[in-house]
Amino acid sequence: MHIVKQLMAIPGVIAAGEFAYRGDRFSFEGALTAEFARMASILCRSNTMSVNMQSEIFDSFAENCGCRPVQGWIVRGSHATVCNIGNYFAFIENRPELLNDVMTIMRAKIGDLGDDLLMNLYAKIGGDVKEALY
Amino acid sequence: MTLDQLMDIPGALAAFTYSDKGDLTDHRVREGTEITPQVLDLLAHSCVANMAVATLEARGWENVTGQKGFEPLQGFSMVGLEWSAVVNGRCGVIVKNRDVNYETAFEAIHACAAA
Repeated sequence: MHIVKQLMAIPGVIAAGEFAYRGDRFSFEGALTAEFARMASILCRSNTMSVNMQSEIFDSFAENCGCRPVQGWIVRGSHATVCNIGNYFAFIENRPELLNDVMTIMRAKIGDLGDDLLMNLYAKIGGDVKEALY
Repeated sequence: MTLDQLMDIPGALAAFTYSDKGDLTDHRVREGTEITPQVLDLLAHSCVANMAVATLEARGWENVTGQKGFEPLQGFSMVGLEWSAVVNGRCGVIVKNRDVNYETAFEAIHACAAA
């Protein structure tokens, strides 16, 4: 089952989606409009790139410290949480054990991200990714 | 909750506190890890920055979409390859991904920040 559908089958998951690094493509399911999903994709992509940049700085001070490559991030709100692993995101309610369940599924289904986040994200789009990057 | 108590969280590799500007004020590091006080100091600065950005995003998201439930933020986590950093207020803990329980970590950090 596709990861977004699998996440949406869990009670308490508000919305889930996948975004492309360039921001020109995204898909989603759940309680978001297409415009809000586009905004969420941009937000998630931006945060993903930011924490990835930060981890490279950490790594320059202590090589192999265990943070790099960054797999994702979580913003814990008062009643809702945003989880992001790779180029997938999920908006979830703050229910007992839901965050752990969602993170376990996302990590298991997406797997460990490779060392080059940009290439990894571009690979999801397909085509000549190097031409677009460099 | 103290730093020593944070280190009792299953899989905890390090615990730390930091100032409003992100300067490291205290820390504990499990022996044998590659995490250094210098990395913790950088991490603390990134925590302050990420919480500020996340607050901006949460506030903007709630205003634009009308969806509530994010503010006030309860924390931020960076999920690395081997460990995750969970932070809120002026407290942070680094937990091995293999053992991590994010909800426990967020609750512990919340208690630390409130102390």
